[in-house]
Amino acid sequence: MADRRKLIIWAIIGTGISSIAVQLVTIREYLSQFHGNEITISLVLFCWLLITGLGSLAARPVKCSSLILYALILVLMGLWPLIQLILIRNFREILFIHGISPDFYQILFYTMVTLAPYCLMLGFILPHSLTVLHNSHHEFTSGELYLTDSIGDTCGGILFSFALVYWVKPFKTVAITSTLMIIVGLILLVSDRRYFLLILTSVCVILFCLFAFDSSFETSTLSKQYGDIVRYVESPYGRIVVSREGPQHTFWESGNPLYSSANTIGSEEKIHYPLIQLERVKSVLLVSGGLGESLGEVEKYYPNRIDYVELDPYLTEAAQEFGFIKNLPGLSIKNTDGRSHIKTTDRRYDAIIVDLPDPDTFQINRFYTSEFFSLSKRILSEGGVLSFGLEYSSDYISDVEKKKLSIMFNTAKSYFQNVMILPGGEAYFLCRDGEISTDIPSRLRTKSIVTDYIDGFYYGNVTKERILKIQDILDQEEYQNTDFEPRIMNVMFQEWFLKHGTSPKIFILILAGFVLVYVVLMRKEEYLLFSTGLANMGVEMLVIFSFQVIYGYIYLKIGAIITVCLLGLLPGAAMGSLYEEGNKRMLVFSEVALLGLILIFFVWNSFLRSELHQIYFLGYCFTFSFFCGLQFPLAAKMIGERQSPAAGCLAADLAGAAVGTLVVGTLLIPLWGIQSAIIFLIMIKISSSMIILFSKT
Amino acid sequence: MNRAITRKEFLKSVGMAGASVFLCGAQAYAFWPGKADNMKSVKGHIFKNDAPAKPWKWSIEAFHYTSIGRKVQCQVCPNRCTLSPGDRSICRSKVNIGGKLYSLAYGNPCSVNVDPIEKKPLNHFYPGTSVLSIATTGCNFRCLNCQNWEISQKKPEEVRHMELFPADVVKAAKGEKTPSIAFTYSEAITYYEYTHDTAKLAREAGLKNVLVSNGYINKGPLLQLAEYIDGANINLKSFDNNLYLTLNGGTLQPVLETFKTLHQKGVWFEITTLVVPTYVDDFEMIKRMCAWILEELGPDYPLHFLRFHPEYRLTRLPPTSIETLEQLRDLALKEGIHYVYLGNVPRHEGCHTYCHHCGKILIERNGYQLNQYNLDNGHCKFCDTSIPGRWT
Repeated sequence: MADRRKLIIWAIIGTGISSIAVQLVTIREYLSQFHGNEITISLVLFCWLLITGLGSLAARPVKCSSLILYALILVLMGLWPLIQLILIRNFREILFIHGISPDFYQILFYTMVTLAPYCLMLGFILPHSLTVLHNSHHEFTSGELYLTDSIGDTCGGILFSFALVYWVKPFKTVAITSTLMIIVGLILLVSDRRYFLLILTSVCVILFCLFAFDSSFETSTLSKQYGDIVRYVESPYGRIVVSREGPQHTFWESGNPLYSSANTIGSEEKIHYPLIQLERVKSVLLVSGGLGESLGEVEKYYPNRIDYVELDPYLTEAAQEFGFIKNLPGLSIKNTDGRSHIKTTDRRYDAIIVDLPDPDTFQINRFYTSEFFSLSKRILSEGGVLSFGLEYSSDYISDVEKKKLSIMFNTAKSYFQNVMILPGGEAYFLCRDGEISTDIPSRLRTKSIVTDYIDGFYYGNVTKERILKIQDILDQEEYQNTDFEPRIMNVMFQEWFLKHGTSPKIFILILAGFVLVYVVLMRKEEYLLFSTGLANMGVEMLVIFSFQVIYGYIYLKIGAIITVCLLGLLPGAAMGSLYEEGNKRMLVFSEVALLGLILIFFVWNSFLRSELHQIYFLGYCFTFSFFCGLQFPLAAKMIGERQSPAAGCLAADLAGAAVGTLVVGTLLIPLWGIQSAIIFLIMIKISSSMIILFSKT
Repeated sequence: MNRAITRKEFLKSVGMAGASVFLCGAQAYAFWPGKADNMKSVKGHIFKNDAPAKPWKWSIEAFHYTSIGRKVQCQVCPNRCTLSPGDRSICRSKVNIGGKLYSLAYGNPCSVNVDPIEKKPLNHFYPGTSVLSIATTGCNFRCLNCQNWEISQKKPEEVRHMELFPADVVKAAKGEKTPSIAFTYSEAITYYEYTHDTAKLAREAGLKNVLVSNGYINKGPLLQLAEYIDGANINLKSFDNNLYLTLNGGTLQPVLETFKTLHQKGVWFEITTLVVPTYVDDFEMIKRMCAWILEELGPDYPLHFLRFHPEYRLTRLPPTSIETLEQLRDLALKEGIHYVYLGNVPRHEGCHTYCHHCGKILIERNGYQLNQYNLDNGHCKFCDTSIPGRWT
């Protein structure tokens, strides 16, 4: 009997390991299937946490248990992630029109239904483990359950973030991380002598392994989306696929076509509009966008040095292998975050050409802010030029586009004497302290630079009237875009919704209604955990966001932050479990500690914004998680183990985390800046503190 | 140990069970065979109770509609929207106010530019000239790759616009010294009345009229409009009705009828097909399309194959490969179409005009510029063959 207790504890740890890895793999999968902006990330996390919370709640009334059923669920949960990934990849092509970018509600619906089986099982199995243990007369508290699950989560997080993401693809990742659960499930069947079921599940497991470890099978599940795949790499930054159609190769980055052969128009526009402004081009910094013809166009100016910064080394490696990065004298490829390079380099450049997507993620936003322009100016040589492009429509500039262009113009104008927007295929911003010419073809002819597109098309597309129209439309009263108040992201979100003809209002209203009903129905202790789950997720997002702003997107260190957040829960939960009875004083103390920590963040963000050593961020996350972890067992004990609090507490924690992700990530930061998000978190924690402080129990 | 379940717990459990059944059931339903096909038409819908209370300054009573009591049916395009009072049409420009059909797009263009005529694209219509291009909002299609979705998928009231009534447009064209006016960018059929009246005045003023359209128009209105149209570029988006439904929200047959009508009326037109990868790059389909063109319209109307770029909602497809475009051009030429061009491919030999008889270069293009012009009064300078088109 004692062995069974151990087996179930191992099952809980296995569930933790598997669930965190499956969560990360699944988020990356959705990012490759849908538009990879913050809305998608938040929606996926929201659905995950919410449905898992539903599963936990569903476990609450289930008082009876069967070890066989438990074992079967374990095995099924181990096998399902592979099926889930195949479903996500293939049914997208069946349900949606091939090549389309689905809208908000389509993503929400698709995410919910594809995640539902796994998340419901996940939410159900954890509290049900407790029921199984109790029904077998084993002592195990809700706090211990939370602690054990956290151990699994932490192991899974470390395993994925620091090992699997570098070496194996998603199918193998889910297979490896599910191993413990499957083994425990099979051992439970053996121990109960259910040999028929054992044979049946063993066959399923063998099939699972055959498919999961077959690389060609994994690649084949992507062919509907990409066509003829000649290279498929999972890098820590996303999915890189190279597909081929005849002699044309297309580079895909997380599902979006990044570059296709013969991109003459885009390459000429982004390179020549800025470079032709300069009398002499000695050194050029290219922030992304160096694939294909771009470097060849830069070469026409005979620069001494070209620094090409691309975050993902796997992308440049593949591009070099397929001959899409020209071997030029003076070319240096730097696989690092572009903004960190600009911040730390001692070099001076005559031109900085930023070729990134429009800023609809926090990561990309850092290249479109006041602070970025300030950093860029520092490394520009006298009279140097900075350029970047934004999507727009050349025939009619909508109100949202007007806002977007105005924000960027005002932001750039506060650092450069002249900012000119050329209405090409994109709206190309040229920022310089010297003169900016709009007669690009004649300047090119003067320098004997031959172009295929600009020479013949420029005067018909970038007419004086169109240039004037853009200038006239700019609103000088618009905000500036900053690191901590990413106003342009809000505009990008608006544009995204407009493009799909949808609005999130109905969703927000329904969600607010459900949250309200749920909060009213829950226990006070559950509300405390709800608020803590919300604050924990919110703070994690704020810290990652701030860290990226200061240090750039460094995969390993972001991974370290997430891991430390999980790690902090462990000693917290362990300490909370030490208390025999519910300890209100300790709960109040932890509330005050959490509030204090958020206030510290507020003070740093509002008044100091100094560049803290990275260790402070890690220490902060650890401490915050510690107090979050502390609360779960304390709250569970206050409810009393007889009331079976695990399901309700887990559900509240998960629901809070879901709401926190959505509200902080997609609403508050983009709409009103980081301070509003911190204030919101402070209000939430004040409300939970008051409830605990004035409750009689 | 066992205790009775409370009412609150029971309600919660029922709720949770319901939600779980819904989520898993939805998965099964969504992935049910055949379900997906029904979801893949992007045809637009009528906007119920979306019309303004009364016509605004830029309204005119529609030219082509029928009444059934207080309901009206627009007769301009094959959508034939039946609108109750207060409803708005699929194209967003027509509304039923008090039992009458009004167009809300009359004299209020939101986009006015001077473009090279080659940009439409028209390669056989007064090459090297410029054209005053205007558009109001609206479209009777829902193309997933629309490059002007900010105006084509908007209501007239939702955009900033100018005030330019038909006489003003003619005056503006004269002021800009453009020999022609193009009704373009969004969908000219949806602002039919504005197009018609402007074209009529422009004709009287000695200007040419260019229609850039998806060709989704009924025969009667087209015949009336064709009286004043000198040149047109009509999109033949594919040659498959299912593709029309999936990518554009329309149907193929009415577009084919438009080509036949324009041909019969002697209106010069050129055909444009955007080659969307994995959809419109089907060689068998293009072969059928060419056969139809040759049989119904003859070999002389130019056919433009345009390179697709990810746009609007169709962003997860690559650009068309140049090789595919070249193969399609070769196929169309082989099938017998005399003039086949490639678009969005700078400095490609497929951008030039070659005499269909002697094969020599008639017009060598560098983008919108003409490097060589070897036509004399509409005839090849080398072999004197008459070249189809409208020439100066």
